[in-house]
Amino acid sequence: MSFLAPALLLGLLGLAAPVIAHLLGRERPLEIRFGAMRFLPTAEPSVTRRRSLRDLPLLIVRLLLLGLLIFALARPATEHDGGLTMVAEPHDAVLLVDGSRSMGLRVEGKTLLEHAADQAKTLLSSLPAGSRVGLVTTDPDGPRVDPTADPSRVAEALDRWLERDVPRAGAWPLASSLPAAARMLRENGSSDRKRVVYALGDRTEAGLASLPTSAEGGAIVLPIPAIDDDVPLPEHIAIIDLQWEPAPDLDPRAARVDAMLQRFGAAEGTEARSATVGLFIGEAEVARAAVMLPPDEAVPVQFTHTLLEDADILPATVALLDPDNDPLPSDDRRHLWLAAEDATEIAVVNGDPSELRAHDEVFFLTTAVGAHNEDRTVRVRSVAPDQLAERVRKQGAAGLADIDVLVFANVRAPDPAVAGAVIERVRDGMGVFISVGDRVEASAYNRTLGPVLPLMMRGPVQVGTAPGRTEARVEGIAPADLGHPVFSGLDGDVGLSGTVARRVMLLEPDPRRGASIALSFTSGAPALLTRSVDAGRVALLTTSIDRDWADLPLRPGFVSLVSGVLSYLGDTQSGGVGARLTAGAVRRERARAPVVFVTPQGTEVSLAPTQGAVTFEDTFAPGHYTVRSEGAQQAVFSVEVDPAESKTRRVESEAASAEGIEGRVAVNVPQWRWLVWLALALLGIEAVLRWRSRTAVS
Amino acid sequence: MSERALPLASLVPAQLRELLRARSLVLHRPVFGRRLGRHRSARAGVGLDFRDHRAYVPGDDPRRLDWRAIARRERLVLRQTEAEDELSIVFATDLGGAMGYGKAEAQKLSYARSLVGGLAWLASGQGDPVALVTGRQGAVADALARPSSSPERLAGFAEVLGDVEPAGTCPWLQLLEAMTPRLARRSVVIVVSDFLDPSGDGQPEDDEADRALIGALGSIRARGHDVVLLQVLHRDELEFPWTDRTTLRFTDLFGLRKPKEGAAASIREGYLEAVRSHQHRLAERCDREGLVLHTVRTDGDIVEAFLGLLARFEGVAPEGDAA
Repeated sequence: MSFLAPALLLGLLGLAAPVIAHLLGRERPLEIRFGAMRFLPTAEPSVTRRRSLRDLPLLIVRLLLLGLLIFALARPATEHDGGLTMVAEPHDAVLLVDGSRSMGLRVEGKTLLEHAADQAKTLLSSLPAGSRVGLVTTDPDGPRVDPTADPSRVAEALDRWLERDVPRAGAWPLASSLPAAARMLRENGSSDRKRVVYALGDRTEAGLASLPTSAEGGAIVLPIPAIDDDVPLPEHIAIIDLQWEPAPDLDPRAARVDAMLQRFGAAEGTEARSATVGLFIGEAEVARAAVMLPPDEAVPVQFTHTLLEDADILPATVALLDPDNDPLPSDDRRHLWLAAEDATEIAVVNGDPSELRAHDEVFFLTTAVGAHNEDRTVRVRSVAPDQLAERVRKQGAAGLADIDVLVFANVRAPDPAVAGAVIERVRDGMGVFISVGDRVEASAYNRTLGPVLPLMMRGPVQVGTAPGRTEARVEGIAPADLGHPVFSGLDGDVGLSGTVARRVMLLEPDPRRGASIALSFTSGAPALLTRSVDAGRVALLTTSIDRDWADLPLRPGFVSLVSGVLSYLGDTQSGGVGARLTAGAVRRERARAPVVFVTPQGTEVSLAPTQGAVTFEDTFAPGHYTVRSEGAQQAVFSVEVDPAESKTRRVESEAASAEGIEGRVAVNVPQWRWLVWLALALLGIEAVLRWRSRTAVS
Repeated sequence: MSERALPLASLVPAQLRELLRARSLVLHRPVFGRRLGRHRSARAGVGLDFRDHRAYVPGDDPRRLDWRAIARRERLVLRQTEAEDELSIVFATDLGGAMGYGKAEAQKLSYARSLVGGLAWLASGQGDPVALVTGRQGAVADALARPSSSPERLAGFAEVLGDVEPAGTCPWLQLLEAMTPRLARRSVVIVVSDFLDPSGDGQPEDDEADRALIGALGSIRARGHDVVLLQVLHRDELEFPWTDRTTLRFTDLFGLRKPKEGAAASIREGYLEAVRSHQHRLAERCDREGLVLHTVRTDGDIVEAFLGLLARFEGVAPEGDAA
């Protein structure tokens, strides 16, 4: 045991004061050896009593009470290992605090983030004199404090941060903020002192286990768990996934909603536990299910729901119905939008219909799309140029409103009226895919779709016919630019390396158009170009999509190429009914007019477009979002928490060491309880003794 | 100073020794002694001083016929002269703890020693036999109980009284029992004590021991001895000089009582009253028994005290006793 104010223990010397006062204050008798004792009256009781301790037990108890008061003022505390390792010499430090969602786990009445703040304050109060300390959090909106010699600034910043609604639903690995902490140390620290990053977080994969033992610039990384490792973590239930798909086998407007539940943190060998989960459409519960959850095992739950005729899009939520006392409530519900129709409409204008599949562009397109269309999210239909012209003539640009991607496959050139409607729709967000062929008339394209073409067409050319060229009369496909959005999600060889093209469309170079080359021929000529035009996108393939000019459709990468191009053009990567974002992810919306985002709380955020798009960043509230824009169809998306943050089980990590310079932080735990009990007991004894003393006197 | 007196030099202070050279011990009454002495005898003897005439009876020594008186009276008469006998003096001295009260010359035992030594020296110088019996710590020392006028007797006195430390109680009855059988005819018994607490553990109202002692001394007196109670008291015992609120803690010189505590002012009255009462009763009893009570205070001049004592022997009433 130690004392926080040990100097006050000197007050215990004061205990001797009453005794000394008694001893000094009592009259010292004059000692007389006398012979005539016979004539002396008997001893005066009052004198004798005054000189003797009348009630020694009462004196002792009162002295103990006085001592207890002094003891309490000295603030006794037991010193126990705070579980913290710190550098024992003066150094420059940065506290790196995990602000991700998993820090919201409640343990012993407080969230892990609050525990981490306590640990941080313990650390701050224990830093060697002369140290400087700063603060960085993984939350981008969290506090930042440059290293300062005044640790209270860091503590105050932490307190202000905790007063906000933290931790947010973001998933930020601790390691992602380590460079920022190291940079802060490098820019603000002293070069001749130790630089230390004290990382405070949970021992999860994205937490302390994600950290290396040292940071950039040689800074030591010392992990500090928010709670001691010997404190058991409570178990919690999370909905880790939520998907839906149309269920036409049940009803044309039916949907299957599949949720995945998992019980985290339960000790091995514990029995399965039941949980009730419900499906909500809007605010109304439409279905519920009970499920048994073994420890650490994902359990699927499926709901089916038929959308009413008057609603094409509905907000759906799957939530735990008995989340009481769940220590991590942020993952007790997930959200999505249900739609009767949720497919990307692709209209293929076939300029060269053929009964031979090898020469039919639509065959190859539908085949490629069908291979990736198991969930029926893409619907391909063929349209003759005349049909398209007729729709435009009747409805104008609105006649193209239900088309997400319009494909001109070996079409001579769109009719000028159609071209005007197409350009208008492209500016509003429609995608156009142009593949060339023998029927294509470059000048007509340039004339009609010139404003949206990635590059102006010069004309087709037979490969190898250039003057002086005598080598192979074919072109291969060069390695793809995997950084292009068309190849999003692909890695390594895209499967187009063996492509042979005999004829290609030459283009007019024009850097002002902002075309982006996704694929090139081995000669360097562009094979696939894209261009963003306001809210829409246009792609141009400079060879045929059937086998007329090349054997591209025969290559294994053709399916991925077509799927990627159509997804890119249809913007299904970030749009559509099924669009779901992880909390904290950025939502980009192509728009020409200001866009209003409505958050789950009903807050409307209006953003003006920049370069044909708006960026919405405040997606930390899980739930249903709607996007409104003038002249555009309402879009929706949902925000979900990252299920990785639900994994609260401790993960062993490599322990960092600052051997030779580290010390252990001792935490002083005030010992009040037993003092109170002792004081009460002594007061009771004192009362009894006083009562007895009075009784005896009376 | 004669060589005889040397052993008592340690007991008798110098100024008293100076006084003793010119003094003699004279008793106011005739004495019966075995041998001739300096004291007037109770019977006619062969002295020089004329006493009276008596008729001749056959057998009288014809040399003592007073021819001039025969001529005047015309019958045979004998001339009788005063005889001078020796006086046997026995000192019964209390060496109990209470006699140790006082400091230096004011100590009761020291004062008593001076008086006893002076009287013994004076008596011995006159050829009177002296004896000494002491009581201390419940025991009686009676080695000198038989009266003797030998020169060695004073050395014995000095040895017994010299370096003794008062302690315990004096067993008065045993002391008297040891002394009485050895008394010569019509001796003078000088009992030296403070007579405040003969038993050592008496109470003011309990005077059984006092009565027993006085009674025993009265019976000695009844046998024809002269009994003098030489009461030696300290000034503190008579006046209780502590008057303020000082707390006093008295411890018993006898070692028989528990200590007593009290504020001086509150104790004083009761104490003085008790002492006065005791002294009064003692004086009454002495008168009743024919005992001589002579009280001295140790703060008084030893010479004057000694002269006063000699005067009492000569029959002079003490000052203040006229009434």
